[in-house]
This record gives sequence, structure tokens and C-alpha cells, in this order.
Amino acid sequence: MKLETLKADLVERLGLEEAIKLAGKKTVPVHKHTFWYFWGGISLFSFLIQVVTGILLMVYYRPGPEAYESVRQITYQIQFGWLIRSVHNWSANFFLFSVFVHMFSVFLMKAYRRPREVGWYSGIALLLLGLTFGFSGYLLPMDELSFFATKVGMEIPNAIPIIGPPIANLLRGGLEVNEFTVQRFFALHVVILPLLYMPLLGLHLWMVQKHGNAAPPSEEAKEPSQRKTMPFFPNFVAQDLGVWLIVLNLISLLAALFPWQLGPQADPLAAAPEGIHPEWYFMSQFAMLKLIGRVIPGLAGEAAAMTLFTLGLVLWALIPVFDKDKTNTKRSRQVLYFGIFVILVLLSTTFMGFVI
Amino acid sequence: MNYPVWDVPGVGGPWVIGIISIFHVLIAWFAVGGGIYLPYAERKLYREGREEWLPVLKKHSRMFLVLTGVFGAVSGVGIWFAIGLVQPEATSTLIHNFVFGWAIEWVFFVIELAAAAVYYYTWDRIPRELHLKVGFLYAISSFLTLVIINGILSFMMTPGQAWLNVAGTGTEASQFWAAFFNPTYFPSLFMRTLACLSLAGIYALITYGRVTDESLQATRTEMVRWSAKWLIPMALLLPVGLGWMYVTMEPESREIMSLGFSTIGSGLFTQVTRISMMTVLTTVTVAGAVYFFAFLFPRDLTAGHAFALLGLAAIATSSTEYARETIRKPYVIQEHMYSNSIRMNEVEKYNTEGYLVNSKWNPPQMEPVAKGEAMFRGQCMSCHTRSGYRSMERLLQKRDRKAIDQLLQTLHDFEPDSPYRKYMPPLVGTQDERDSLAVYLEKLSLGKTEPALALNAAR
Repeated sequence: MKLETLKADLVERLGLEEAIKLAGKKTVPVHKHTFWYFWGGISLFSFLIQVVTGILLMVYYRPGPEAYESVRQITYQIQFGWLIRSVHNWSANFFLFSVFVHMFSVFLMKAYRRPREVGWYSGIALLLLGLTFGFSGYLLPMDELSFFATKVGMEIPNAIPIIGPPIANLLRGGLEVNEFTVQRFFALHVVILPLLYMPLLGLHLWMVQKHGNAAPPSEEAKEPSQRKTMPFFPNFVAQDLGVWLIVLNLISLLAALFPWQLGPQADPLAAAPEGIHPEWYFMSQFAMLKLIGRVIPGLAGEAAAMTLFTLGLVLWALIPVFDKDKTNTKRSRQVLYFGIFVILVLLSTTFMGFVI
Repeated sequence: MNYPVWDVPGVGGPWVIGIISIFHVLIAWFAVGGGIYLPYAERKLYREGREEWLPVLKKHSRMFLVLTGVFGAVSGVGIWFAIGLVQPEATSTLIHNFVFGWAIEWVFFVIELAAAAVYYYTWDRIPRELHLKVGFLYAISSFLTLVIINGILSFMMTPGQAWLNVAGTGTEASQFWAAFFNPTYFPSLFMRTLACLSLAGIYALITYGRVTDESLQATRTEMVRWSAKWLIPMALLLPVGLGWMYVTMEPESREIMSLGFSTIGSGLFTQVTRISMMTVLTTVTVAGAVYFFAFLFPRDLTAGHAFALLGLAAIATSSTEYARETIRKPYVIQEHMYSNSIRMNEVEKYNTEGYLVNSKWNPPQMEPVAKGEAMFRGQCMSCHTRSGYRSMERLLQKRDRKAIDQLLQTLHDFEPDSPYRKYMPPLVGTQDERDSLAVYLEKLSLGKTEPALALNAAR
């Protein structure tokens, strides 16, 4: 009884009626593809894990010349430092993976069409920021692998015609990757990117709340009476919590069974280790640079690869402009084929990146 | 080594046992837990007049019959094949000690199978009271199979001093009951029973998740919530079971666990602690996920959710079994037989007479590489593969001959402070045999061997 009173008091004083009313309005379509609706929530949860573990890592991490030593202490000396770092790294990978799955499931369900275009655009921007989070965070330990992978990875922005080299120099703090780069990347990772990311994330979540989850065309085709839904709050939220618990379990297991190690300290004068490559989420671009570089050697090849990739990205982002209608038009089919082509190219070039 | 060695490239023999066992355990434990679940649900139906439960329970008993009667039985025989091929000596020891126990288990198993079939085919055909009795007959007989097999499985972890005193004398069977009710018998039975009840709940959710008939939704909601409660014993009593297990295990095993727990903070904790952590974490997750997916809003539960829960249960089960295997290292039967099938009391004999002379399946004359490969097959391959799971190529890290010799010497000496002693058996054999093994391992280390060719050529 007392709990009920407390609940009523809180609702009254905080004005929660509006929020409860808003949460209650949204429903989630129930059909055989409902599983894919969880991936946005999984991305959000992995991001939240990174925020928490990232703040804890900042307690001991020292950017600049001491970067390597501080990560060594976190990994091998500070109690449970290994766990926080491993969870941070695994959840980062999990985050990007789930964002990709979320994006392609949104694409295949045609959830970018009117009125959800802003959700699509903000989602693409969040993905790009997420990738930049990954890239900037990867260098921070300054071990051999992260140093050379960043060095190699910087070839990607460097290859953008005209504006590429100045951007790369600005990011590096000069022509080479060194402790100044670590400081810049750190500032980018913990201040600039979160400042950009949080409002965009707020907008993205607001759009999801406003327009709700889109049903795939196969469901749209059904009579409204035949479509099933469940309330977002509290029913779908309960399921989300169950899925988040499983994700937390998986990330903890990965961290415990395969804890993130720290390689030898980076030596800029040493030769790059054999087979050095960026993380899996940049492998596609990296492989394209290499492949096109074989056909068109030198700067021209790099510029061609980056132009192609940027063009692809712009086209991908502009899909809602081309395919607006809710009906299954010729344009809609063309977009679907384009999307399948993009998925195949990304998968095959990522795979090739690991073997070539 | 009185048996030829089964060469499983890639995953290695132990994982063949592991994969079949995990599959089998997930079904066998369901057979036990589900056996208790079904008559209890049926009794509830009769006592509380919940007639609408009947069609759903019938559906569940069909899945039950197919799973346990077909897949459970077949995979159980699969385990026999696999352990007989990977660990023939240990299997032989178990048979010699527990043949009577196994005979009893098979009797209960036959009753269990017959009762399951009768139970399924006599819904509405025999009086309800009698049908319920058949259900309870099934429950008792299937639980008794667990009571028996648990004695044999826990024996391998803690045979007990009474049995160890007579081990190797030919009168081992005189200590049958001491070996059967060994120190970890009751905590193991307790833990396995909890797991059985949890799996009964999860499998029931799979059946109910597939009930889409609108007219049965209210019934489904009741049954989902009732089934979710079957996970409560595990969720509440897991710490009791683990603590009980911990205090009854061998001191050496306890030491490994303690060392692991005390070093979690520094990140240096042992493999067994990592795996035990998996068990605890995943079990808690299963309980939490059942709460969110099933208990809170039973109407929203789908078969997909239930299968996800089963997947998690598989992780919890497999990690528990893996932890059990790891704690037992370097033995397959604690304090009696090492994981490479060498009995503790045979070590001296093999060191003086030679290991290969006592291996009937090897030709008497062999080239050093072939001899080395025979040593590898006999003493290493019960845990390692050449280039797959626990790969020797990877573990040797391109060591040269001198480093390999040193490693083999350390394994042979088996000193109390040896870093390998906690999880690897001693290397036995004459100097010449160990040198031959070094020749073979050097080739393996440098990637120059043609696997399995040398020995075949010798034959």
C-alpha cells in the first residue's frame, strides 16, 4: 500500500503522467520478423555499457606519453581493471556489430520511408560517429598493434582527394602518429564525439518513439484487423530487458574467456608487424583501397577507391529520397537490389581484407 | 596403451565426447525433470479442475516422448561409443567397477521408456488415476537413472579413499558402495536435480511458446507462469549446491578453485574459475530472462524466446561439465588414472620397461619419428590435437629441439613444483622413447610432419 502511495506521489510531483501516456501510446508490431526490432535496443545497451566502463577507465588512463604505461597498469595491476577494459572493448565491437545489423534490418523492413526519414539520416550519422569512436579508441593503448593499425587506418581519410591529407594531419597532430595523436584522439573520443553523439542519439530515440517501429511490407500488405501488436511499455520493454541481460551475459563471458591483452609498447622506428590491418569494421574500406590500388597504382588508385566508397555512402544515406512510397514500386525493388549488392560487397571485401 | 588410438583431427576426441554429452545431458536432464513435471501438472489439472490444460499437456507429452525416447536414447549410446574410443582404459575401469550399477540403470531406463510410451498413448484411454500412476512411475524410474549414473560420474571426480586403497588389487568391486556414494555424490545429485527441474520448465516453455490457438491463450498464460516457477529452486539454491560441492571436492581441486577465486581481481585467474564463472553468470541470466520473457508477460512469450533460453541453458550446462573436466585434471579418475589413461601405479613400470613395449597395437620395430608419433598418440592425443583444439603446433611455439627436450624432461620428472603438474599428467617412457617423441614434436613444431604418415608407413 505504501509503495502505491509513493508511486502516486512521484507521478504527481514529477508530472510523469505525460511520460506514461506517451510511452503507452507506442505499440510494437508482432510478426515473424519482430526479433529484428531488438537490435536497436541492443546497440543502445552496448553503448551504455561503454559509457559506464569508459568513465571507469578514465579514472586511471593517462593520455600522452604515459598512455601505454597507464593501460598496462589498468590491465595487469589495478584490481578488476582487466575486466573493465575487456568489457569496454568487447562491448565496443558488439555495439558496432549490432548497429550494422540494426541498420540492415531497418533497410530490409523499409523503415526509412516516410515519415521515418529523420530516423534513417540520424542513424547513418550515429553509425559514422560510432565508427569514429572505434577508430579513436583503438589507438589509446598505444601498443604495437594499435599504433600500426591506426597508422594504416589513417590511409583511409588520407586518400580522400584534396581534403583528405589536411584532415589526416589534423587528426594526427602532424605527419606521424605519436603521443600528440593520442591526446587528440582522446579528446575526440571522450569529449567531442560524445557531445555530437548524445543529442543525435536523443533525436534518433525521439523519432523512434514518435513514429514507432515500422512493419515490413509483408505485414503492411495485411488487413489492419489481422495485424498484431504489443504495447511498447511495459511489454516490449520487459522483453528488451531480457535481451539486454543476455547481451550482458555474452559480453561478460567474452571478457572473462578472452580478456583483451596488451601488446608490446609501440616503437615508431620498428617495422610494422606482418599482416597488420585495421579492425574488422574498417576492413571493407581497407580491402577496397588495396584492391583498387592493384589496378590503379599510386595516389590515383587511393583517390578512386575513396571516391567510390564515399559515393556509395552518399547513395546509401539518400535512399529515403529515392524510395519514398509505401507501395511496392519499381524504385522500391531497385533499392532492394542496391541494398543486397551493398551487403554482399561489404561482406566479401571484409572477408578479403583478412586474407589478402 | 592396450588400445589403438582414435585420431580426430581438428576438434580432437575429448570434444567429440563433449559435444555428444552436452546434447545428451540437455535431453536426459529434461527426461528426469520433465518426468516429474508432467504428472505434477496432470495432478494439478485434476485437483483444480483445469480441464483446459489437457490439450496443451498432451502436446507437451508428445515432444517429451520424441525427444527423450529417440534423441536421448541415441545420444546416450553415442557417449558409450565416444568414451570407448577416446578413453578405453577409463571406460574399462568403470565397467569393471560399476557393471552392476549400469545394469540397474538400464533396468530403470527400460521402465522409463516403456512408461513414457504408455503415458503418451493412453491419454483418455485408461482411467485418469491409473494414467497419473503411469506418470509417477515414469518420474520415479527416470529419477532413479540419475541416482545411478550420478554415482558413476561423481566417482571419477572423487573416487574416495576406501576405493583408492583397493585400486589395482583386483578387488575394487568390494568397495562398490563406497565408490558409488563417494564424497561428491550428494552435492552432485543435488545440483543435477536442480538443473533437471529448470530444464523441465524451459522445455515446457518451448511447447507453450508454440501454442498459437487464440482460444487457448488464457490457459497458455497460466501454464507459462506455472512453468517459469520451476526455475526458482535453481535460482535460489545454486549457491548452496556450489558451496556443498566445493567443501566435498579433493583438496587439490579445492586449492585450484581457491587460487582462481583469489586472483580474479588481478585477471590472472585460472581457466576453471573462468568456466565456473560462466556457469554462475549464465544460470543467473537464465533465471532473469525467464522472468522477463515468460513470467512478467506470459502472453508475449514465443517459441523463439524459449529456444533462446534453451541456448543459454546449453551454455550453462556445457560450462558446468567443462569445469568438472578441468577440475579433474590431470586425472580422468582422480588419484588413480591420469587423463592419458595411464594409471598412477603404472608410471614406474612404463619408465623402466618402456611405454611402447606395453602397447600391443604398435609394431615392435619403428623409426624414431614413427615411434615418436606413437608416443604422441598414446600420451598426448587424449587432450591435444596436432593443429586443431589445444594444438601442439601452436603450443610448441616453434620451440627448437633443446627447448622441447627440456619441456619433456619437466613433464617426465613431474616434480611437486612443476607448473604443468596441476593440469598435465607425467610423461612416461624410457629415455629412447622420450627422445623419439622429441624428434616427432620438433618436426611438428617446425611444421615439417606429414601427420599420421610416419606411423602408417611403419605399419
